[in-house]
Amino acid sequence: MEIGPIFSALRRNKVGALLIALQVALTLAIICNALFIINERLAFIARPTGIDEGNIFVIKNLWVGRGTDAQNTSLLQTDLQTLRDLPGVADVYSTNTVPLTNGGWSDGVNLTADQEHSTTQAANYFVDEHALNTMDIKLVAGRNFKPEEITDRAERDSGLPDSMIVTQEFAQKMFPTESALGKAVYMEGKKPTTIIGIIENLQVPWVGSWVKTWGYTAALIPQRMIRQNSAYVVRAKPGQLQTAMKAAETKLFSINPLRVISSVKPFSEIRAKAYRGDRAMAILLSIVCSALLIITALGIVGLASFWVTQRRKQIGTRRALGATRRNIVNYFQTENLLITLVGIVLGIVLAVGLNLWLVNNFELTRLTWWYLPMGAVMILLLGQAAVLPPARRAASVPPAVATRSA
Amino acid sequence: MLKMTRLEKVYRTHLIETHALRSIDIHVREGEFVAVTGPSGSGKTTFLNIAGLLETLTGGQYMLDGVDASKLDDNARSKLRNEKIGFIFQSFNLIPDLNIFDNIDVPLRYRRMSAAERKGRIDGALARVGLASRMKHYPSELSGGQQQRVAIARALAGSPRLLLADEPTGNLDSLMARGVMELLEEINRQGTTIIMVTHDPELAARAQRNIHIMDGQVTDLDEQPRLRSSTPMPDKNTHVA
Ligand SMILES: Nc1ncnc2c1ncn2[C@@H]1O[C@H](COP(=O)(O)OP(=O)(O)OP(=O)(O)O)[C@@H](O)[C@H]1O
Ligand SMILES: [Mg+2]
Repeated sequence: MEIGPIFSALRRNKVGALLIALQVALTLAIICNALFIINERLAFIARPTGIDEGNIFVIKNLWVGRGTDAQNTSLLQTDLQTLRDLPGVADVYSTNTVPLTNGGWSDGVNLTADQEHSTTQAANYFVDEHALNTMDIKLVAGRNFKPEEITDRAERDSGLPDSMIVTQEFAQKMFPTESALGKAVYMEGKKPTTIIGIIENLQVPWVGSWVKTWGYTAALIPQRMIRQNSAYVVRAKPGQLQTAMKAAETKLFSINPLRVISSVKPFSEIRAKAYRGDRAMAILLSIVCSALLIITALGIVGLASFWVTQRRKQIGTRRALGATRRNIVNYFQTENLLITLVGIVLGIVLAVGLNLWLVNNFELTRLTWWYLPMGAVMILLLGQAAVLPPARRAASVPPAVATRSA
Repeated sequence: MLKMTRLEKVYRTHLIETHALRSIDIHVREGEFVAVTGPSGSGKTTFLNIAGLLETLTGGQYMLDGVDASKLDDNARSKLRNEKIGFIFQSFNLIPDLNIFDNIDVPLRYRRMSAAERKGRIDGALARVGLASRMKHYPSELSGGQQQRVAIARALAGSPRLLLADEPTGNLDSLMARGVMELLEEINRQGTTIIMVTHDPELAARAQRNIHIMDGQVTDLDEQPRLRSSTPMPDKNTHVA
C-alpha cells in the first residue's frame, strides 16, 4: 500500500477529489435516510390485517327504494343465506366496514361508566356469528357469538349489546395484568359490555398515523346493520375466489334485481388502494436513491477516467519503474478509497443532521444506527466498483509510454 | 550482461508494418558505458525499450543477465525492471504531484522494503546527486538539470545493475548536460553498466563504446578504445556485430 504518497498527491488535486467526496457525502446522507424511510414504509405496508386476505372479497349492495327496517332485515337475511349456499363460498357475514377501507366507527373505551379520559380508542366492527369463520380469525380465549345473541341495529339505534369479542391488543390495553375474559368495559354510553371472547389479531379500518397507538385495537359487536346499503364479506373456498365473485354477483341479481351492486372487490384490491400512496412514496424514494447512486458512480468513473488520461505518462513511468498492473489498479482503488472515506465521514454527519431535521419537522422516527454503516459500506463498494474500469484502463497503459511520449 | 541475437522488432498497425529493428546483434558486458547513436527514427528508443523490458521483441533472442526475456510474463518483467534496471528519460518523467523524496521512493515502494531502508536509500541517492537539501521540493520547483539529477537518484536508489538512458541530456543546456554526463560517468565507475542513447557526438565520444544504429540495423561499431584515466578498459573484441 502506498497510502502516504497517494494522499499527498491527492492534496495537490484537491478540487476534483473534494467534489467527489462531497457528492459521496450527500448521496450517503440522502440514501441512509431514504432507505430508512423506504424500509419503514415497506414494513408498514406489509402489516397483516389478521384476516384471510387471499380468499376474501367484499360486495357492496344498495337496495333500490327505501324499505322498512323489517323489509331490509328480511332482504339481508335472504342475501346472506343465498351467498352461503353458493358452492364456491366458505362463509359470509354482513358488516359496516372491513380493515384498510379507511372508513368506520371508533369509540373510546373506559373501565368505568364515568371515566373522564378513555383508556384507549377502539374500532367497532358490527358483525354476526359468521364473522370469525369468514375472516378466518383465531379465537384465543372465550367463545364465538351464538346466533341468538345477534341483534338488529337500525339507523336510529344506539347503545351496545351486552357482549362483545375483542382483539388481543384491546384486551391487553384494558387489562394489562389479568385476563380480559368476562370483564366489562364501557364504550357507548353508561351500559357495560362484557368481553366474551378474545381473537388473535384484527386491524382497524384505518391505516393513517392517527391510529398508530391502536392499529389493532378492535371490538366485534354482535349486531347486524340494517340499512339501505350494506357490505357482505365473503370468503371463497381456496382457489375459487374469481368464480365465487362472479357467481355471487349473478346469483344476487337473479334472486332480486332491485339492487345496485356498486362493487365486488377482492381484498387484494382494497389493500392495494389503501397503501397506494405509501407504495408510490417508497418507489419514488427508491428511484431517487438509484439515481443518486448512479450519478455518484458516474462522477467517480468520470474523474478517474480523466485522471487516467491526464496521468498516462506517469502511469507508464511507474510501470517502467517496476509497477505491476496490479500495483496500478491498487493505486486507483486506494485513491478512490481515500476520497470515499472522506466523503463517508462527512456523509455520516450530514445523514444524522438530515435525520434530526426530518424528525423535528415531519412525523419521522430517528434513524436506526446501522443504516449508517450499511450505507457507508454500500457507497464504498460502489466506489470501488466504479473506479475499477478506469483503473483497469490505467493498468493497460504500456510501460513504453514512459519513453515514447513527450 | 545483455546479449541480443538476430533481434527483430516489427510494429504492426492495421495499415503498415514498421521494421524498427532488423536482426541486430549487440552484446554489452557488465560494467560497460555504451553510447547509442543514430538518426531520428532509426530504432534507438526501440532498442532501449526492448533492452529495458518495456517492450517485447518480435524475433530473435534477448538474454538479460542470463535470463531469456521472451520467456517472461508481464509481472516478471515488472519485477526485473524494478530490481535490475534503472531508467533515465529525456523529459525526466518525475511525478509532478510528489515531492523529490516521494519521487525517489516510487520504485522502492514496489519492493518489499522497510520504511527505514527506503529512507536510507533515498537519502543516500540524493546525497550522491547532490540534492539532499531539496527533498521536500516538488519537481516544478527545480531546474531541468536538477530534475534530471533527481531522476538519476530515483534510478540509483534501487541499486540497478543496468542503467538505461534515452537522451538524458536532450532537454538540458550544455552546461547542465555536462554535469549529468559527469554524474553518469561517476556511476559507471562504481560498476553500473550504462547504455545511453544520445544525439550529442561530444557526449557519445565520452562513452567507452559507441553503437550506431541506422534504419533498424547496427551499422557501425566504434572499436576505438578511448583512454580515460580512471575507467576500466573494456575488451576491444567483445562486441558482436
Ligand atoms: N508504437 C509504435 N508503433 C508503430 N511504429 C513505431 C512505434 N514506435 C516506434 N515506431 C517506429 O519505429 C521506428 C523506430 O523508432 P524509434 O523511436 O526507435 O526511433 P529513435 O531512433 O528513437 O528516433 P528518435 O531519435 O527520433 O527518438 C520509427 O520508424 C517509428 O516510427
Ligand atoms: Mg528515441
